[in-house]
Amino acid sequence: MTPADHEANLLEVGRRVVAASPADETEVLLSEGRQLLTRFSLGQVHQNVGTEEVWAVLRLVLGGRIGVATASSLRPEALDQAVASAMAIAKASEPEEGWPGLPAPRPVKRFDSYDPATAEAPADARADVAAQIIKAARQRSGEAAGAVEVEESSLAIVSSRGVAVAASHTRAQAHTVVTCGDGSGFAEGVGVRLADLRPRTIGRRAAVKAADSRHPQPLPAGHYDVVLEPPAMAEWLEMLSYLAFSGKSFQEGRSPLSGRLGQRVTGEEVTIWDGALDRRTLPLEFDFEGQPPQRIKLIDRGVAKAVVTSHYRARRLGKRRSTGHALPASTGYEALPMHLFMKGGTSSAEALVAGMKRGLLVTRFHYTNILDQMKTVLTGMTRDGTFLVEDGRIVHPVRNLRYTENVLEALGRIDGLSRRLTLVRGPVVVPTVRIREVNFTGTTEF
Amino acid sequence: MPSERRAGHATPPVSKGVAAPTLPRNCLSPPARRPILGGVNPLLERACDLARQAGASYGDIRVREEWQESIAVKNGRPEHIACGLSAGFGVRVLVDGAWGFFGTHRLEESAVEPAVRQAVAIARASARLRDKPIALAPVEPAVARYETPHARSPRRVPLEEKLALLAAASSAMKGPNVKLAQAFFAAYETQQSFASTEGARIEQRIVQTGGGIAATAIAGGELQVRSYPNSFRGNFATAGYEYVEAMDLVGQGPRVADEAEALLKAPPCPEGRRTIVIDGGQLALQVHESCGHPIELDRVLGMELSYAGDSFLTIDKLGTFLYGSPEVTIVADATAPGGLGTFGYDDEGVPAQRTPIIEAGRFVGYLSSRETAPAIGRTSSGAMRASGWNRIPLIRMTNVNLLPGRAGTLEDLLADTGEGLFLATNKSWSIDNKRLNFQFGTEMCREIVGGKLGQIYKNATYTGLTPEFWGSCDAVCSAAAWRLWGTPNCGKGEPPQTARVGHGVAPARFRNVQVGVKT
Repeated sequence: MTPADHEANLLEVGRRVVAASPADETEVLLSEGRQLLTRFSLGQVHQNVGTEEVWAVLRLVLGGRIGVATASSLRPEALDQAVASAMAIAKASEPEEGWPGLPAPRPVKRFDSYDPATAEAPADARADVAAQIIKAARQRSGEAAGAVEVEESSLAIVSSRGVAVAASHTRAQAHTVVTCGDGSGFAEGVGVRLADLRPRTIGRRAAVKAADSRHPQPLPAGHYDVVLEPPAMAEWLEMLSYLAFSGKSFQEGRSPLSGRLGQRVTGEEVTIWDGALDRRTLPLEFDFEGQPPQRIKLIDRGVAKAVVTSHYRARRLGKRRSTGHALPASTGYEALPMHLFMKGGTSSAEALVAGMKRGLLVTRFHYTNILDQMKTVLTGMTRDGTFLVEDGRIVHPVRNLRYTENVLEALGRIDGLSRRLTLVRGPVVVPTVRIREVNFTGTTEF
Repeated sequence: MPSERRAGHATPPVSKGVAAPTLPRNCLSPPARRPILGGVNPLLERACDLARQAGASYGDIRVREEWQESIAVKNGRPEHIACGLSAGFGVRVLVDGAWGFFGTHRLEESAVEPAVRQAVAIARASARLRDKPIALAPVEPAVARYETPHARSPRRVPLEEKLALLAAASSAMKGPNVKLAQAFFAAYETQQSFASTEGARIEQRIVQTGGGIAATAIAGGELQVRSYPNSFRGNFATAGYEYVEAMDLVGQGPRVADEAEALLKAPPCPEGRRTIVIDGGQLALQVHESCGHPIELDRVLGMELSYAGDSFLTIDKLGTFLYGSPEVTIVADATAPGGLGTFGYDDEGVPAQRTPIIEAGRFVGYLSSRETAPAIGRTSSGAMRASGWNRIPLIRMTNVNLLPGRAGTLEDLLADTGEGLFLATNKSWSIDNKRLNFQFGTEMCREIVGGKLGQIYKNATYTGLTPEFWGSCDAVCSAAAWRLWGTPNCGKGEPPQTARVGHGVAPARFRNVQVGVKT
């Protein structure tokens, strides 16, 4: 079947469910796809998996009362059972305060983000990518661990309000951690096409960093200027997004932006937006309510501007339309920005390092978590290449450090950003960033 | 890796010694006349036959159906209710010494052949990058059936009854600044049929249930959460709805709300090196992150290196490394009654076991699989579990339990401590990629003064290095204070898998621990 066939089938199944539903309102989210992933370590493939899956998420509304049920099949009996379950939930529930009804249809753009060659890539093609990463690492005496993943999917949203949209996508990604003695380095690639991944470059970049990070020296905890490479910056941005940009959290008073829209919340260098239709990310034509996603500025030159919403939350916040960032009804989060961007500056990544008197070059963070959500205090570790920089030059690698930092405050101390933006898994599109005086609060043994 | 936690369930006293592996025999019986998943036997037999015909030296199939339900009530009203049913099967084959796996939602006999064909093709591609063929540790093929003992199937309890309990619990949390009074319930009923080319035929029905309450107080740009019986949606066990009924969520509501209010007004926890006493819920997550993950043998062998990391507990340390003080004895026990990580057989057909991990401070064992166990010259510890039909089994925690000590009750331990801090209920967790440097935040912190609980502090954190921290443990409460906690959201692997695992602990004391951070 072609992607168009899959989409047509999903739309037809969705229409049948909507037509047969006894509820006042019915929304059906259907997805169908294959996910294939090859993992390797020490030059060996140790896991290699594939799945074909379908998922149905049904949201039924009865007198303003909502019931949600999911199924892993498109068979009529499975969908009938899901309808019955959702109806039972709706009947047992209470009317949703201010329920505005399901959203009306709005035009959505079509994107060409489906690559047949990627969708049809056999297991050998993933093994080829893995082999090239391993070979590139070994050419520099490194040993690669990592994964190569290919995914194809079709998604359709159909509702009793008239929404009927569908799209298909492919995704490919590869990442590796290369170890070289006691050094390690990380690199990744992500895109719509497997052919665009450049595995030799991924392997080489990680291997060079692994070799450079051998024999790390201990460095005491303290305040250091940092240059955050894109994976590190992306991790902060994703955590900030989770804390701050949900309309639900905002209205409940749990967001650090609650009551602060229009106020300065961080430095002027910081502009963050969500852009699901931007070709620099992995585009998504509509959200999980079938609505077109707005390009929405969340923070503009340090000033809090907006949060993202589903249709329901938009109406609760006095807006006519959602921002187009609804999540599947099976989650309680309602909406989140899923295609974050951060504006770059005028520098190059190399110049940011060259302009640092004394500080750290950080490849990426590990296991970041929240200590204080209103103050955006996060903690986490550095990983896979942390280097001491003095007078603009890398002096030596250092052992990994723990940071504990108020991220909105830290972003207020940015003193340089790269012009170039990089797509990082997430997807998040970010520059390399230099920040003064980040608080590193602990050390480890490697 | 990351997660949330839970499961509180009094268990019989456990001796500090390490018992031989045992099974909850009362739960095991010969295969039932009526299979758990009706009509799947032809799929099982067909998959095994096809795997053999394709030249697989080993093959298995898991047919699985999982029902789940989650309910959230906010400020006395339903906030989000969802239920789901997922069914399918996954085929795993070892061909030319390498693994291949394929899972499909198409639960029909005609889907078996293409799934096996895909798994074999994937295995052959794996073999291109495999110079050492995988060899599996032996296991006696079991023909058995296991079912979680439970009184009330959560699936059969009327939704109205669950909602009424949660609404009452939510409504019981009141305070001038309590803006969110939430009550949660979740349950999972998993039915699985497993067959291997070696002759194993195992049916299991696992029932997992949990819930909890949380009061969120917000004022003046400050937010504080207080939870019961554990944070991040409560506590979980292998049990039926009776487990949630016994929590007394309604009765605990006023205290939880009062403590959330008190935290808003409390001063921040001062920084410094202190003696700390850690309660069960927080200590369970401490065990999870600093012991449970680093003893996963696949991590140790580098199989998770590019994602969650590896482990400081390298194979050369086995049997000799001092992980902690003599007070610290830890087992991985998949047989613990009520533990969230309790089952009859793992997803390779290996019987549930109780495996010594730390004996009086000395590191003696790993969580392992049939593939990894030969690396340490042992057989599998029975820890391979998959999060669904669409995922390959990985080494996962079972119930990684800190065995009780001799320090009596929590009150006895506080009295013996005299001065220090009491830290309760997890709020934040983070640990490095070898599982050495950790930092945890807790919802509640109380000064211990004269052996009694005093001043409340907010935003407490503590940090350390794993062996140094466990080496500073000089007291663990006795069996009467020991209980099982569940962690229902343990993340691992690519594609990501979420496992539900358990930890039995009693409150314990640690000396000279860094509390807070220098600003």
